Amino acid sequence: MMTPAALTKRAAPVLACIGLLAVWQVASLALKNDSFPTAIEAVRAIPDILGDKESLLNILASLRRMAIGFGVAVLVSIPLGLLMGRSRSIAAFFNPLLMVIYPVPKAALMPIIMLWLGVGDVTKTLVIFLGVSLPVIYHSFEGAKAVEEKMLWSGAAMGLSPAQRLVRIVLPAALPEILTGCRTGLVLALITMITSEMIARQSGAGNILFNALDMGQYDTVFAMIIIVGAMGIFLDALFERARARLVRWSEPQFDMPLSFS
Amino acid sequence: MKARQNGRGSNDAPHVCEGDGLSGRFLAKLVLLNVRASETRYGMTVVAARSSEWMRPVTSQEPASAIIEIDRVSQVFQTSARKDHLALSDISLTIEEGAFVSILGPSGCGKSTLLYIVGGFVSPTSGMAKIKGHAITGPGPDRGPVFQEFALFPWKTVLGNVMYGPRQQGVRAAEAEAQSRALIEMVGLKGFESFYPKELSGGMKQRVALARTLAYHPEVLLMDEPFGALDAHTRTRLQNDLLTIWERDRKTVLFVTHSVDEAVFLSDKVVMMSKSPGRIRQVIDIDLPRPRRRNELLLDPRYQKYVVDIERMFDESDEAGPVS
Amino acid sequence: MMSRFFSPNVFLGIAPIVLVIAVWQGLVSFGFAPAVLLPPPGFVFGRLLQQLVTFAFQQEIAATLIRLFAGFAIAVVLGVSIGIAAAANPAINAVVRPIVRVLAPLPKVALYPALLLLLGFGHGSKITLVAADALFPILLSTYYGASTVEQKLIWSAMAAGTPRYEILFKVVLPAAMPSILTGCRIGLVISCIVVFLAEMITSTDGLGHALVTAARTFQAVDMFVPLITISLLGLILNGLLGALRSYLLRGFPEA
Repeated sequence: MMTPAALTKRAAPVLACIGLLAVWQVASLALKNDSFPTAIEAVRAIPDILGDKESLLNILASLRRMAIGFGVAVLVSIPLGLLMGRSRSIAAFFNPLLMVIYPVPKAALMPIIMLWLGVGDVTKTLVIFLGVSLPVIYHSFEGAKAVEEKMLWSGAAMGLSPAQRLVRIVLPAALPEILTGCRTGLVLALITMITSEMIARQSGAGNILFNALDMGQYDTVFAMIIIVGAMGIFLDALFERARARLVRWSEPQFDMPLSFS
Repeated sequence: MKARQNGRGSNDAPHVCEGDGLSGRFLAKLVLLNVRASETRYGMTVVAARSSEWMRPVTSQEPASAIIEIDRVSQVFQTSARKDHLALSDISLTIEEGAFVSILGPSGCGKSTLLYIVGGFVSPTSGMAKIKGHAITGPGPDRGPVFQEFALFPWKTVLGNVMYGPRQQGVRAAEAEAQSRALIEMVGLKGFESFYPKELSGGMKQRVALARTLAYHPEVLLMDEPFGALDAHTRTRLQNDLLTIWERDRKTVLFVTHSVDEAVFLSDKVVMMSKSPGRIRQVIDIDLPRPRRRNELLLDPRYQKYVVDIERMFDESDEAGPVS
Repeated sequence: MMSRFFSPNVFLGIAPIVLVIAVWQGLVSFGFAPAVLLPPPGFVFGRLLQQLVTFAFQQEIAATLIRLFAGFAIAVVLGVSIGIAAAANPAINAVVRPIVRVLAPLPKVALYPALLLLLGFGHGSKITLVAADALFPILLSTYYGASTVEQKLIWSAMAAGTPRYEILFKVVLPAAMPSILTGCRIGLVISCIVVFLAEMITSTDGLGHALVTAARTFQAVDMFVPLITISLLGLILNGLLGALRSYLLRGFPEA
């Protein structure tokens, strides 16, 4: 049994979705713009896209690239971030480089990397990898930096080697922060994926969007926006549940999503 | 036991007078009288042997001089979905104008909550608190809080913090600044006006907080374990300085603490509270001469007896029933 | 200040940047990468300096900066006011919270085609996209900062006679400032990235467009120039915001 309060809390995001769609519906009816279909028209176009085999394969291929790019980025970035957090010189070594890379739009590297590696999966996955890495490194770094020195001393007193301390003390202690970074990274992976496909215009979900735009299929454009938006919301919610489970022991966290795009 | 025997002493009076160092004959006489008077009262309680005899009916003071009246106040906090915690149970207390009253009790007895209710920061679940006969409905400049956490505005300098209250009261900038500078000097921080709180030590921060509160001339000072976060040495110095400042203009002070020494050293009256639910156990008058000086008081057997007896009462808290 | 600048850590930090440039140069000079695909660093930076003084390139920078600042400014105004309002008022909170939960993880760039249809291909759609992307980090950190203001700061101000509505401006806003500025910093970097991407996807001017033009004609050198420019812009703006931050937060510990 759920208490009414918990039920409202669950239902609120759903209500918000419905509310946003309703605002859209009213706005499009009021504007009477040919290129601005109503929410109902856009929702109706969704089955057509997902029913079309080619579109579906395109979307799935996008998701696969995203998963690989995200996975590899997480595997590389967490150890690097933790090492930076625990060693002043490693941090001093990498920080300026990361600072220079930070404001570079990763998806903007597409044309250059395409020049070297072609337009294939490798290029797009590499770009996603680059997009995800920075927030994960940053949050792992912050998490590891905040680990209490005395916890590590206790570990050392118990005979743990530096490497063991990193894995058995720093990693779990920094986990809440690391997962915050991963959550941001996940949303960024989706964004980078869409953007890179919009720029390369060759295949994938982003390409469907702009093809439909070029051909004036406005229902499809807006239906695709709903699909991509739903993916973002769904992935974020899924990750949030996993995160909450993994770090049950930590202080109850701030419950608005802190991830940004 | 030892403290109690020492506590009888007519030999105490000369000791107090000598150590006092006050030159004026009149003052010396006053102090002497004061000591005598308190001795006789004190003697009674010692003879009576049972410490509970110190207890006074809490509303027995002359109502004319009452500044704060707390009338059957209870406070319930919801700790989880179905559990309630009775933080304060049926508290009634009257505080006279110009009195220094300490609320003393173990952590979790609701003593801070009681202070917040008087401050108007928290509204009681039932009952009411009044200041000068008017019901307290919210915070106001007639009651100035000083918190353990200092709660200084980090974005303002020392001067900016102290000036905040007067400016809020509509005092012109130049005048507010002059008043604030004088107050800063009074709390011993001359030269630190343009410092930010982060650049000060804990003791200095609390001095600024005191000055900030005094700056808008509250009638009652509400001090919430103000020296609780300070080291022992700093705490002692601040206690001394607080007494000096207080003895100058005798504002009403409501002082929450869990330190028995501190309560006895500073107060005219100590309100002892017991835990879960928070109730008033006893109200004890501290009949020690003023102005109080630490070096004399610590050697004073009557001071020692107060401290020892109050501590013992807390230890016996299982046996003694709470007083309502 | 100067001593910190020349500390050994700074040299350690410059090392990897120098290393990257050295490897880059090495790849070209030893013939591992043809200069057409990977122009040598000296050539790229020479071209950058040459471009920076031309009026045409300055106009591209100006177009990008106008969109960036407009979008970022809208995001700051909306984010801070909605964030504070949501922290201060339970009714607003109840409305804002679920909407933010839904919209924050939504990839805003997917909205870009819709914005193009509604607002056209000019400044409007790009500025809106920048604002939509930068809004949420600013809104969330403002909300976080405003809802974690120490209760006793507010009580102290109330006891000094501050009316309730003034508390918002006199206590909550300044106390939430560290958090707000952190959000602004994230929002600013996002603005840089998004404005560039929007210009790449569809535009007739701006740095992103310069990159796409170069890519169409396979001018590798001219592809690097706008990228380095936006990175430099990002660093400069970040530095300016950092200076503003340390001025505004001079009283706060660890500002």
